[in-house]
Amino acid sequence: MGPLIDNGKPIFLQISEQIENDIIDGAIEEETSVPSTNEFAAFHRINPATAGKGVNRLVENGILYKRRGIGMFVATGARQRLVGARTEQFRASFVGPLLDEAAKLGITPEQVADMITDASITDREASAS
Amino acid sequence: MNLTDTNTAVRVDGLTKKFGSFTAIDDVSFTIERNKIYGLLGRNGAGKTTLMQLLTGQQFATRGTLEVFGASPVENARVLQQICFIKESQKYPDSFRIEHVLASAPWFFANWDADFAQRLAVDFRLPLTRAIKKLSRGQLSAVGVIVGLASRAPLTYFDEPYLGLDAVARQIFYDRLLEDYVEHPRTVVLSTHLIDEVSNLLEHVLVIDDGRILMDQDAEALRGSASNVVGKKTDVDFFVAGRDIISRDGLGGLASVTVAGLSEAERAGARAAGLELSPVSLQQLIVARTTSTSAG
Amino acid sequence: MSAPHRLWECTLMTLIDAPTDTVASVHSRTAWTRVWNVARLHLVDRRTYIGIPWLIVGIAFVITVFIAQIIGFTTGGLGTADAIEGQRYSWAVLSPQWYLIVVGVQAISFGFPLALGFGVTRRDFYLGTALMFVLIAAVNAIAFTVLTQLEQVTNGWWLDSYMFNALWFGLNGWPVDLLSFFVVQLLVFFVGAFIATIYMRWRMLGMVIFWSALALTIVGTVMLITFTSSWPAVGTWISAQGIAGIFAWLFVPAFLAAGGGFLALRRATPKN
Repeated sequence: MGPLIDNGKPIFLQISEQIENDIIDGAIEEETSVPSTNEFAAFHRINPATAGKGVNRLVENGILYKRRGIGMFVATGARQRLVGARTEQFRASFVGPLLDEAAKLGITPEQVADMITDASITDREASAS
Repeated sequence: MNLTDTNTAVRVDGLTKKFGSFTAIDDVSFTIERNKIYGLLGRNGAGKTTLMQLLTGQQFATRGTLEVFGASPVENARVLQQICFIKESQKYPDSFRIEHVLASAPWFFANWDADFAQRLAVDFRLPLTRAIKKLSRGQLSAVGVIVGLASRAPLTYFDEPYLGLDAVARQIFYDRLLEDYVEHPRTVVLSTHLIDEVSNLLEHVLVIDDGRILMDQDAEALRGSASNVVGKKTDVDFFVAGRDIISRDGLGGLASVTVAGLSEAERAGARAAGLELSPVSLQQLIVARTTSTSAG
Repeated sequence: MSAPHRLWECTLMTLIDAPTDTVASVHSRTAWTRVWNVARLHLVDRRTYIGIPWLIVGIAFVITVFIAQIIGFTTGGLGTADAIEGQRYSWAVLSPQWYLIVVGVQAISFGFPLALGFGVTRRDFYLGTALMFVLIAAVNAIAFTVLTQLEQVTNGWWLDSYMFNALWFGLNGWPVDLLSFFVVQLLVFFVGAFIATIYMRWRMLGMVIFWSALALTIVGTVMLITFTSSWPAVGTWISAQGIAGIFAWLFVPAFLAAGGGFLALRRATPKN
């Protein structure tokens, strides 16, 4: 969990996404607790209602659930669901525009696929050395 | 006496205040809900202090209705005991010391927490035995802040209480306010021109300009309601044509225009057109709106 | 809801601590508690109403004794009836009043903004201030009356020095002393406060109008009495009242000042 950035994205959304990132990373495991709304508010120095909105968004999406009297916990299967949702987003935000840009420059999808394979080999070599 | 509205702290309808021929508050209507942190924002002389004086019965309205916890606050002890109004121009008797203020405050604020007040006095490094008139501007502000926080009054107004407080002291104030608000929810109204510093603390924003309410919105909604579009002047102009333009800026062939309300699709479209979208802070937004009304 | 019914409800609510909501409400204090808290507020700094006035009395006393001793030394004796009579012309006994009239003014000029800042109604503030004036006046009157008697009993503090048996004090017995000290003190407080309320309500313009009106009234009254050659009648009437009578009459201006102050303050607002 890190500081908030002033990038025009609603704060409650940033809170949501930070928690999602931590779940995907494995920093917060399933069936463990996340900090309370008030703790988020105090840490980020924001209004608790805003923090609450971010947390509630995850509750509505089934990522978090509330254990009465104890707090908010990560639901089982949350990570899988998040990864799935992010993959869809990946396709929409990256793959789509990638192919559009390629088309603009006259690069075929097969050529793009080749580029990707080449790049990943170079990457592997770089990390191995 | 209205007992039905338990979620409303303050209800204002058509409130007007004239000083002779000068209209300080002009037909103002809004509602303040319980247990939220409100920002009352506006330029100097916009009417923030006058409005708060009306809301606390210190000034008398010329026209309109005003209800606090269901009744008029004017000369109403039941209502006034639930309010704490901290203003930066609060005067104390010449011989008064800080310890006198902290000793007498509990007589007027039934929820007063003396331990909390003591801890705050330490946080703000206040010399309790010093006379009020010998305090620096910052120390005087700190006294007000401590009374406002320790009063735990169900409705607390802070009228620019940060004047003279250095950045560290201001941060202490924001932190203690937030901590205490979370433990002991109450309705807080902060008036300030330091909008960006407090913008994350606010749940709802009221902007007043020239005695009129310019904005009355949820803070998150307000933040998301505008974007800066930056790029080549021709491209920018094309994109913003027909939209609600809040402000324009430019340098040579570049332009930066603040527009209201862009959906995700429109944002994607802007990026596709080679334009950059940058965030608009609450302060920028409010400054732009209030400047444009005085210019236009 | 009719006005009398609403008034009755308001009174009940004020007196019977009945919170109308259960969400983060404060325990509402009774009218008496609120008024008493205002009186306490004036006295939270004990120097103002107790410390400094009695310091002034103490200093005036020491000075009176010294001067008396000097005079006695140079004229050869203080124990004579003449000497005692002579000391009667000193105003030292009223020395704290010059300070206390300023205190009366400041009770309003400082107290009003402070009380408003603490969420006190104007009505509660004025009642609390008036209560405090009456209590301090009573305490001071009792103290001065006792000191006057003590002075007589000890023959001028065993030094033939008389400060408290001066002017009209100590002439007609202690009940009259008590009455006159009390009303003088009340008058000083309420007149000072009244002037301050005029300023609070009507600021500079109010002050100008007030003082002009007062001057005109005084001069006008003097003119009237002179033109109707009524000075002898006035003199006769005053002598007929006696000391007790005069001071009883002085309750009238005290009440008028008190009432006027209340009315002026009802719509006063703090300085911006």
